Amino acid sequence: MGANASQLEKEIGADHLLSNEHFYGLVNFGNTCYCNSVIQALYFCQPFREKILQYKQQLKKSGSQKENLLTCLADLFHNIASQKRRVGTIAPKKFITKLKKENESFDNYAQQDAHEFLNYLLNTISETLSEEKRQEKAAPASGSSKGGTLKKASLGGGAGANSVSPASTTLSLPPISSEAQPSCSSSAKPSEPTWIHEIFQGTLTNETRCLNCETVSSKDEDFLDLSVDVDQNASITHCLRVFSNMETLCSEQKYSCENCCSKQEAQKRMRVKKLPQILALHLKRFKYVEQLNRYTKLSYRVLFPLELRLFNVSDDAVNGDRLYDLVAVVVHCGSTPNRGHYITVVKSHGFWLLFDDDIVDKIDPATIEDFFGLSECGVQKNSESAYILFYQARDCSAIETNKTSLFNHQ
Amino acid sequence: MQPSYQPEPPAPKDDVLKSHFITREGTYKLMTLSEYSRPNRVPLNPQGGNNTSSAPVRVSFLSVPTSKLNDSVVLDGFGNSQENLTNGGGRDSPTQTDPYFCPDRICFNVGRELYVYVYRGVRSASDLSKPIDKRVYKGTYPTCHDFNQETATAESCSLIIGFSAGQIQLIDPFRKEYQVSRLYNEDRFIDKTRVTCLKWVPGQAQYFLASHASGHIYLYNEELPCSPGAPSYQSFKQGEGFTIYTCKTKSTRNPMYRWSIGEGAVTEFAFSGTDAKYLATVGHDGYLRIFNYHTMELLGFMRSYFGGLLCLAWSPDTKYIVTGGEDDLITVYSVQEKRIVCRGQGHKSWISQVAFDPFTTWLADGMPATSGVPIDLGSEEDLRPSSFNSSSGVFKSVAFRNNSSLLRSRSQKDSISSVSLGGCVTYRIGSVGHDTQLCLWDLTEDTLKQPSILGRHRNSTIIPVGGAPVPAPSSNCFVDAPKASGGKEEKPEKTKKLHKRGFSLGTKLGGNSTDRSGRSGTGSLPHDKDKGKDDPVSRLLGTPICPRMDDITVIEPLICKKIAHERLTVLEFREDCIVTACQEGFICTWARPGKAVLNHQQSINSPNPGSSPNLLPGGTVV
Repeated sequence: MGANASQLEKEIGADHLLSNEHFYGLVNFGNTCYCNSVIQALYFCQPFREKILQYKQQLKKSGSQKENLLTCLADLFHNIASQKRRVGTIAPKKFITKLKKENESFDNYAQQDAHEFLNYLLNTISETLSEEKRQEKAAPASGSSKGGTLKKASLGGGAGANSVSPASTTLSLPPISSEAQPSCSSSAKPSEPTWIHEIFQGTLTNETRCLNCETVSSKDEDFLDLSVDVDQNASITHCLRVFSNMETLCSEQKYSCENCCSKQEAQKRMRVKKLPQILALHLKRFKYVEQLNRYTKLSYRVLFPLELRLFNVSDDAVNGDRLYDLVAVVVHCGSTPNRGHYITVVKSHGFWLLFDDDIVDKIDPATIEDFFGLSECGVQKNSESAYILFYQARDCSAIETNKTSLFNHQ
Repeated sequence: MQPSYQPEPPAPKDDVLKSHFITREGTYKLMTLSEYSRPNRVPLNPQGGNNTSSAPVRVSFLSVPTSKLNDSVVLDGFGNSQENLTNGGGRDSPTQTDPYFCPDRICFNVGRELYVYVYRGVRSASDLSKPIDKRVYKGTYPTCHDFNQETATAESCSLIIGFSAGQIQLIDPFRKEYQVSRLYNEDRFIDKTRVTCLKWVPGQAQYFLASHASGHIYLYNEELPCSPGAPSYQSFKQGEGFTIYTCKTKSTRNPMYRWSIGEGAVTEFAFSGTDAKYLATVGHDGYLRIFNYHTMELLGFMRSYFGGLLCLAWSPDTKYIVTGGEDDLITVYSVQEKRIVCRGQGHKSWISQVAFDPFTTWLADGMPATSGVPIDLGSEEDLRPSSFNSSSGVFKSVAFRNNSSLLRSRSQKDSISSVSLGGCVTYRIGSVGHDTQLCLWDLTEDTLKQPSILGRHRNSTIIPVGGAPVPAPSSNCFVDAPKASGGKEEKPEKTKKLHKRGFSLGTKLGGNSTDRSGRSGTGSLPHDKDKGKDDPVSRLLGTPICPRMDDITVIEPLICKKIAHERLTVLEFREDCIVTACQEGFICTWARPGKAVLNHQQSINSPNPGSSPNLLPGGTVV
């Protein structure tokens, strides 16, 4: 490790751009690479890191003694950011212990799913933050109990706000008229939005057109990440387009149309209406195969560009052509979801680094190709393939970089 | 931002590879006996564990003159007889006189290996066990290559090969006993990165250009040795996004010039034609740039919708350039109007090669496409000295690649009879990609003439990303904006020049000139340092050189066929066939309509199992 660290130090030493940046490997406490990989990816999501470090400053000021997953993560980030040496290894022991304590599903030495962990972490942080806000206000809580994940909670909020717009005679879905737009925004949200939402939350609009009365209804759903099906030799761009393909709801899946007051065949499509600051894309590489009675890995070759725009944006999206830059990739290595290893590739000041638990290496950007997947493969084949992609909107990166560099000088 | 009414592009759900496809001109058939590959027919495993497999399989062709015939008509890429190559040193490229035998040569790289064979087109392939030349490299592997068409004879030719570690080799595969292998950048003082594209400069027989993953392009003179150490450069010419350096020792040492272009790798470059007037480059920074090669001036550029651009091709009349890239789109750029004409959506992944089909490209009826009409690129007084003069007025069979110089009016007429599109301007474009699909596209006059089409109705207001300087129009018909702004500075002389004999493209151009926007775009080419502060890409969005998806025509492919198991890396339109190659190392020949059966019966040297039973088990095709 020492040799590795000094090698990296040498490589980055000459570059002043990286002089304020810290690259710390994380010790693996027995199958905790799912955790390490996600933490590294989040650490290099600048807006997220900045908020976490700010939170740490607040904690310091207030002298708070509380300890939860958020404070543990803040300590860990602060620990990395305040190291004297720029390269080294840190043991995220406190965080892992807390994680296992707080959620029993992580309290074992089994291999966990990095995406599930990401989801859990973001939701837990968000819940902690909104709880704190509530306490700050010293006002009685809104009363609505939050069940499950945030995604589900906000999904429920939109359900009562279905909007209906007049039918169109053309084959196309008519653009949603302006009066139909304030769908779920007016309804009371079960939880207050936190900076987790500011950073990761986007909105999907679910448009359904009844094939009988041609009425189009739309419903908004918030998301913190998108789980997309993968296809052999496709790009992530294509997978996202397929995600938003028109579906026909028929036979058992018929749609109960409010206008017709009956079950009708309908066409449904989900497109992105609000694009998040950080777009987290989860590639659904683990597929349940009934014959085998277990999950297998789809090692498909799925290309992802370093720069991305979305094609599957709704007509009323406000920032539909937002430009994204790839900032981090969580890679799954292995043949099954329960066996294998997670590593992370991140971009920092234009350089690419690979984090493999406690090992950190600077890599050639061309190496990213190695994580696309395999083009000809059986379902069992071993692969090192991208599992979660983190794209950061360019319009927010400029501001963030400046802020972060200021912060690092403190 | 797919419009709601646009159906999904045709995508075959099954995994069956297509062996034919039908367009309106007829059926294209895969010639299974014309397949070239490694002699053992073992596919290259793209995940073979070493990075040699990542170098794309590339194909180079050479039309070999049977002998130096003085009486033969020398055709240049325009279908003209041509006497005056700019460089006197360039030998004539003799034409093939025997129409039934084309002794072409094919060169391809697979992994660490490089092969040269006789290429017989739609006739069966050569005996794969008997390559003209075969080379296996250690330590470094071939990434690209190019034959020198201008100096080739039946006995001798020059093949340059670029390598993964930056070296360049010059060999003569016809004269192995007399080794003339020469190495450039052998000690990697010039560039250590992969050679991405390599081409002889048309009309300048001794010179070739090599682009590298470093973002540099170097001009070499094959006669000169390379610098014994790191060359010292001097800034020679500078423009937005590029700098050209001369080597202090350029008269005696290679490289002669270094072009430093954009950020990141230059992925491909192409000359506009046999006169090497223009050089177009694409790169990982997502920019297409068009230079006047001789004056070294940047004449125009455009930006991908997102991500890097991976390939490009000039239209046969040099009016348009098509690119393909990481946005899964083909993009057609008008060189004259300095605007994106349309994008094409149909590939499921990145596009690795694009090409215009000169044999299925139609220019205006009964008129020479651009005779005497100089293309106004802003700084040129006379860009096209040579005028078109074809025997067939309707069909302009114009090819700019060296290897397709065997144009015959007879075949042009044959092609005409198969399609009836009289009077329409149609360009045929082909593309292949990482999705293992071949797509063919028709670029019609309708698409070409409108600066922007109201194809999409988006009722929202446009909020420019990153404070784009494009004025956000208050009305819903915001697509008129570029037109309106362009109209202000319309160039009258341009309208005059292009208004020729009802040639509709030119006519339309005058009214819809987006010249101004395009040029102002040229002025705002990003400085590298600005990146992140005021993002140049965001500023370009919404301009004619990077329109929003709603503001531009999006075309769909005529056909979209899965033709390989592995990503496709090569697409080449030839007179009687289309050639494709995939990363497994199989080079396929698709006979054009009417070219398959007849020629196949005339198969001269069939590689059937009888001829080499041990080497070709079964002679079947994978």
